[in-house]
Amino acid sequence: MTEQWFERDPLWFKHAVFYEIHIRGFFDGNDDGSGDFRGLIDKLDYLQWLGVDCIWLLPMYQSPLRDGGYDIADFFSIHPDYGTVDDFKEFVEQAHQRGMRVIADLVMNHTSSDHPWFQASRSDPTGPYGDWYVWGDDDQRWSEARIIFLDTEPSNWTYDPVRGQYYWHRFFHHQPDLNYDNPEVQEAMLNVLRFWLDLGIDGFRLDAVPYLYERDGTNGENLPETHAYLQKVRAEIDARYPDTVLLAEANQWPEDVVEYFGDGNECHMAFHFPVMPRMFMSVRREDATPMYEILDRTPSIPGNAQWGLFLRNHDELTLEMVTDEERDYMYTEYAKDPRMKINLGIRRRLAPLLDNGRDEIELMHAILFSLPGSPVLYYGDEIGMGDNVYLGDRDGVRTPMQWAGDRNAGFSRADWAQLYLQPLMDPVYGYQAVNVEAQLRTPTSLLRWVHRFIALRKEHPVFGLGTYEPLRAENPRIFAHIRRWEDDIVLCVHNLARSAQAVELDLSAFTGMIPEEMFGRTRFPAIGDLPYLLTLAPRGFFWFQLKAGDVS
Amino acid sequence: MNVNEQQLIEYVTEQRWYGSKSRTVAHSQVLDLVTLRAADPEYVLALVEIRFDTGAHEIYQLLIACDDGELQLDGLQDPALARELVHGIRAGLTLQGNEGAVELRPIAGFAGLGREMLTARSVGAEQSNTSVVFDDELILKVFRRLEPGINPELEVLRFLTEHGFENIAALGGWYAYGGGPTSATLGILQQFVRGGRDGWELGLEECESDTDRFLSRLRRLGEVTGEMHTVLASDTGDSAFCPETPALEALPLLTATVDEEIARVFLDLPEDNELVAPIFGRGEEVREQLRMLAHAGSVGKIIRTHGDYHLGQTMWSAESGDWVILDFEGEPARSLTERRRKRSPLRDVAGMLRSFAYLAISAGASDEFEEQARGTFLDGYFETVDDSLLPAGQQAIDRLLSVYELEKAVYELRYELDNRPDWVSIPVAGIQRLMEQVTTG
Repeated sequence: MTEQWFERDPLWFKHAVFYEIHIRGFFDGNDDGSGDFRGLIDKLDYLQWLGVDCIWLLPMYQSPLRDGGYDIADFFSIHPDYGTVDDFKEFVEQAHQRGMRVIADLVMNHTSSDHPWFQASRSDPTGPYGDWYVWGDDDQRWSEARIIFLDTEPSNWTYDPVRGQYYWHRFFHHQPDLNYDNPEVQEAMLNVLRFWLDLGIDGFRLDAVPYLYERDGTNGENLPETHAYLQKVRAEIDARYPDTVLLAEANQWPEDVVEYFGDGNECHMAFHFPVMPRMFMSVRREDATPMYEILDRTPSIPGNAQWGLFLRNHDELTLEMVTDEERDYMYTEYAKDPRMKINLGIRRRLAPLLDNGRDEIELMHAILFSLPGSPVLYYGDEIGMGDNVYLGDRDGVRTPMQWAGDRNAGFSRADWAQLYLQPLMDPVYGYQAVNVEAQLRTPTSLLRWVHRFIALRKEHPVFGLGTYEPLRAENPRIFAHIRRWEDDIVLCVHNLARSAQAVELDLSAFTGMIPEEMFGRTRFPAIGDLPYLLTLAPRGFFWFQLKAGDVS
Repeated sequence: MNVNEQQLIEYVTEQRWYGSKSRTVAHSQVLDLVTLRAADPEYVLALVEIRFDTGAHEIYQLLIACDDGELQLDGLQDPALARELVHGIRAGLTLQGNEGAVELRPIAGFAGLGREMLTARSVGAEQSNTSVVFDDELILKVFRRLEPGINPELEVLRFLTEHGFENIAALGGWYAYGGGPTSATLGILQQFVRGGRDGWELGLEECESDTDRFLSRLRRLGEVTGEMHTVLASDTGDSAFCPETPALEALPLLTATVDEEIARVFLDLPEDNELVAPIFGRGEEVREQLRMLAHAGSVGKIIRTHGDYHLGQTMWSAESGDWVILDFEGEPARSLTERRRKRSPLRDVAGMLRSFAYLAISAGASDEFEEQARGTFLDGYFETVDDSLLPAGQQAIDRLLSVYELEKAVYELRYELDNRPDWVSIPVAGIQRLMEQVTTG
């Protein structure tokens, strides 16, 4: 009997805590200055301790790395800096033995221009790969499609002198879009999925899925053909690879994103992009309205589907899904230095965004963990790592993980100059001040708090599986709601204000029950007929489990 | 077969092997049924889910006998059912259930399986399992709480057998479930140590009658323990057992884990318990002491260990005139992934040292006894263990041992509070002792 390390659970992703890792930046196992799979294996005990259920790996494939590996040059091999396919297999097996699953980024929309498919396509238009990319005689078609990388790309078309035609690309010009109207392309990408699933991987984060197809008179996003193809992928996965997950990256409004769940027959998960900037807005404005509104605006999703929720990730804090006015507000508040802006977003990490305020960081985690969805943490944010806005593109939020106050932040034993990026050294966020080792030794550290908080959330599947019932109070500075699943009822109350607040909550539906604070298990007065009065410290929050009143 | 939900909950939650006595049970259901014997009386293996009010759950193995329509949830009371399992292991059967299947497999070359089994008796229920002894020849151990993955008992016994460590009871076979809602080792069949004396019982007796004799046995136990660790660390080709240099943050990680356990246990300490009084409200002091101890420096190597090492897991065999080490399951209250984790071998040593504290108090031994027992055991241990596995320098060894002893004592405190309130004073004294230990340098 081959060993299985998990109970069967097709919905595991609904109550999982995800942790996003930039392999290059996590730990260097072979002393060459760049993180790799051997290094990742060394740190699995740490991730297990932290309470991670599923590791999400940024792209690990062969690539010229002009877009952090999202420019894939061979879907079937590992970038040599990270190791080999065998190293990857060993990593997945070791993670599984520790009860952690692994998903990996996969870019379906495009390849690197270095990919042999593209090289064949440009040099032999009538050959077997001639029709694998999207070619045109001019650059005028589909002008309704927006340009995503505004800062660097003037057009979605680039002229290829070799073929003498223009090729279509929704992202960088060195990332030509694959032609999904070609059934061979569709099948080739299914083969890529099968290859990694056969190696034991538990699913994929599908990068940039809204753009697979192009159609006249549309903006080329969220087309019905794209959904049909994703449903085909899902059918294949359901038939052959149980308990795996497809997580869609579709930076769209919730009403468009829910289309990616289909009727529970498309992607298992999708990121909820618009809720994230509104959390930052709410905290800065001390007003829960933006959060209540976006959640009200979020349609219900199939029972076997889940939102992926995050505070920060490897990209810029994206402001595509806000109004112009809201964007201006966010830039004014969170990107005072113009260097902090990139494209339509802000390239900073969580701690610097919140001015390194411990209360604010805890509050944001509390809100994130309380919302309906599965939280996705970004490596380094659990210790409050900083960023470096002087580095190009999004490298500023991808610096080495700070393991210790030792040389190279304990990240690598290579020479300092050899490191892929130098770890932060400033007095506030530098590795002497902010590192895993020191925070493990300090009971009151952010890391130790995050660890306890993850454990608390995992004891209560309600956070992943339960209903969300907003509990709007008169005081707009309070964000409160009820989560309910089976016998577990949880009341979450968050104070967004910098000052202490009192709030009266209408808990008449729970008269007679006793709120028990979930961290310290302190019992609060029973819920009576009057509105329930709570006072909260500045940026404070309470989570209560509502318990039946007759239990002593 | 129809089992009533309430009946299931009542039965499971009353068992010694039920691990979550402090949690509130909301539901229970049968996840899968596998028929061991179809004729009357019918024998069935059931996977039962216990679901708590928070929505978290655990899965347990039940063996149920059904005689003329009458259900016996504790089917192991019927020796014929246990015998059925041993027959199945001998024959290498695969039994299909509604969802998954049970595989029963013998170990090639194990001599004890050929003969008929005349008598069967069940021996005292343990914290995580139930055992049945056949003819004083074989012992069948049934794991109750099922977690996905291979049980370390099977994994470690198999490894030690293959690598020629002789101070164990030979492994005869195993059975496991897979293909359904979970995948787990269900039980093992092992040679029974005939005429063996449980190390704990022997200690109680000889502490009164012949302390010196017992101390010399402890020296031998130290040697056997050292040999066991050396063998456990001997195969660099097997990634599950290969000794490793711990990551930079290994010691801080251990400290953080112990520290949080101390905080949790002290949060729950009963105010009205006199036995707890000496340490009540002193959680912060204990944590402070841990931080002092945790500046141990190096950790040495980490390897697979016994995992729950104390006198009760050893047996003195009159036949071989030597110790036999039992029960490689690890601490029952910890998760399987945690129990399989590689750790410093000193963690086992600390467990055994704590056991001497239990013995000294229980046997009413003289004050020096515990010190002598520790000294002689450690002498034997350091003589045989591969010292490249240990931290460099005696001071680092002592400190790491103390960290592990503290971890163990805190674990004991929680366990005794939940299960054996009369014994609470022993871990309390242990914690006090470690608090008073002076940390210099």
